[in-house]
Amino acid sequence: MGDFQMIGQALVQVFTVSNLFMILIGLCIGMVVGCIPGLSVMLGIILMLPITYSIEDPATAIILLLAVYIGGMYGGSISAITLNTPGTNSAIATTFDGYPLAKKGKVKKALDTSLFASVCGGLFSALLLLLCASLITKLVSNFTSVEYFSMGILGISLIAGVSGNSLPKSIISGMIGLLMACVGMDAVTGVTRFSFGMSTLKYGIDMLPAMIALIALTQVVQKLRDFRLSGGKLDDANKIDKEGLTKKETKGILPAILRSSAVASILGAMPGVGGGVAQFLCYSEARRTSKHPEEFGKGSLEGIAAAESSNNAVVGSAMIPLLTLGIPGDGVTALLLGAFVLHGINPGPTMFSKQGVMAYTIILGCLIANVLLFPIGLGMTRGVAKIVQVRYTYLAPIIIMFCFAGSFAATGNTKELVLCAAILVFSYILTLLDIDNTPLMLGMILESIMEKNFVTASMAYDRDYTIFFRRPISLAILAITVLLLVSLMRMNKKIEELNRKNIEAMEAEHAKMDAAMQAAKAETTEENTAEAAVETVEAAAVNQPGKQE
Amino acid sequence: MKIKIKTNLWSGIIMGAISLILLILLPSQVRVPAFDSGAPSPRIIPGICLVMMLIFSVVLIIQSVVFKKEKIVEFDWQKEKPAILLIALLCIYVALILFIGFIPASAVTFCIILAYCGERKPFIYIFTVAAAIGIYFLFKYVFTVSLPTGMFF
Repeated sequence: MGDFQMIGQALVQVFTVSNLFMILIGLCIGMVVGCIPGLSVMLGIILMLPITYSIEDPATAIILLLAVYIGGMYGGSISAITLNTPGTNSAIATTFDGYPLAKKGKVKKALDTSLFASVCGGLFSALLLLLCASLITKLVSNFTSVEYFSMGILGISLIAGVSGNSLPKSIISGMIGLLMACVGMDAVTGVTRFSFGMSTLKYGIDMLPAMIALIALTQVVQKLRDFRLSGGKLDDANKIDKEGLTKKETKGILPAILRSSAVASILGAMPGVGGGVAQFLCYSEARRTSKHPEEFGKGSLEGIAAAESSNNAVVGSAMIPLLTLGIPGDGVTALLLGAFVLHGINPGPTMFSKQGVMAYTIILGCLIANVLLFPIGLGMTRGVAKIVQVRYTYLAPIIIMFCFAGSFAATGNTKELVLCAAILVFSYILTLLDIDNTPLMLGMILESIMEKNFVTASMAYDRDYTIFFRRPISLAILAITVLLLVSLMRMNKKIEELNRKNIEAMEAEHAKMDAAMQAAKAETTEENTAEAAVETVEAAAVNQPGKQE
Repeated sequence: MKIKIKTNLWSGIIMGAISLILLILLPSQVRVPAFDSGAPSPRIIPGICLVMMLIFSVVLIIQSVVFKKEKIVEFDWQKEKPAILLIALLCIYVALILFIGFIPASAVTFCIILAYCGERKPFIYIFTVAAAIGIYFLFKYVFTVSLPTGMFF
């Protein structure tokens, strides 16, 4: 079946009531989760994962998760603009101009710019995904299990290389993940591994409870701790006015949006580079090429547009390596890979030949989610912004209950609850040791894929383990792994330095602005007090005419 | 009470010890199958992981001791006490779910957590208990998963 035929079939499949409903639900949940500082898009996806078990069509389940991802990326900007606190890491650069503009009383303008840029960025990358995905899979269609195993090593090495501050710690984390996934019965030989005679470990550690404990519960505990330490104080949010984006302003920010979308799409397609990196590079690039660079940091619409279009452009392009090569680019796509595996979808070179219609349904779902983000964003932003002001004690118990109920739903066995609690304790110890748990999660997800291909390759080549270095494509992948690892680590250090400087400069700018505003306020108050004093004296004089005479 | 944790050194020591112990236990914990099916040994992947863990644990110790490259994390008991208590409460929550079921366990645990977080509004407590009942029936009738009911039902 040709690509166009598959796209035609996918179009019919994607425009169903259930798919559109799931997209709407996903966008709303994503916006809410992304909007609340301290909660991440990953948490939103994890909370949705157990719910997707009840969805029959795997494509619909993945579309729902993608809609959460897309909604979450935009949601992060709402609190960045109204509170000066980014809801997600990818919205840090949005605070640079979003908050100063909000301080000037133009909250709606800032939010509309963010929404428009998010939709444009997302659409740009979704179209790129639609055009490139099939082409890339044709290039890598000759891959065998040997190359698949090497691709697994590439994926885990890149995540280890770019997450956290220390490469040895990240590699250890990845190895722990692989080891945890090895626990239980080996699928090939039927041998039990590392069960220590415990029935809880005999059937292995399921992926879903582990992900829930590592990401969702860890985040909620940290947020509750902060709530307790701060005494439940809430930041004051800026009120949303009614003055939106004008046509002239929309036209003005288009070049910045297009440039940022293009740059971020390229960056997002590189495994290991996420929205966090793309936003700063695009923001700096937009400032460099702008006609009014002096306005950046003081409420520039171009600044907001660059930051927001870039982080949403990463969503679609990060799906390119995931769908075509089976390599996740960051923590969120690693989680999506887990969701693919849980739903029996095998992303990678064979996906477009064996499950082509499903692949295109997912891509088109991503495209439609981006289109629907605009009306949903326009209608719901005001309501979502109010959720930031809801006390966390309302949300935390519900999230925790959902987490435990969801982990139980994975297999319907109470052992999952015990494992969930045990992994939560382990995750806290890792936090104390400054070991990032993203590579651990990826290790757990990739283990089954890696081991299956390792066993197939070993059996096919009569246990000749040098085959991974003798087959040219496999050797090339392993060589690229080393090269990319070294270059990405160097690049990340430079970008971190650039980000640090950017954040420091913007914080100084914001502090200056706040001081100026306070001084102006104080001056106005003084003038008012003086005027009032004069008026009082005059009134007193009028009331006592005798004395005046 | 504040403790400065040399994370490179301690990560190296703890992870090195874990990998070493598991390497020693590998032959007893992962038995070789009685018949050779042509598949590689089930010990290979865990073995590679453990050796890699051990190597990078040694690298961390060398970084810390020889090159004095260290990342220090300050453990402030006052700040971490709420997190540790919350994790302990969640572990108790799991035990309670197994014994008394999802709804009573949620009602008890989250009322304690809310009280610990300093919540005084009665409505939040009522809302949380109602949410526990709602989630139980959502999973039962919508997702067709019966959450544990414990010894009472």
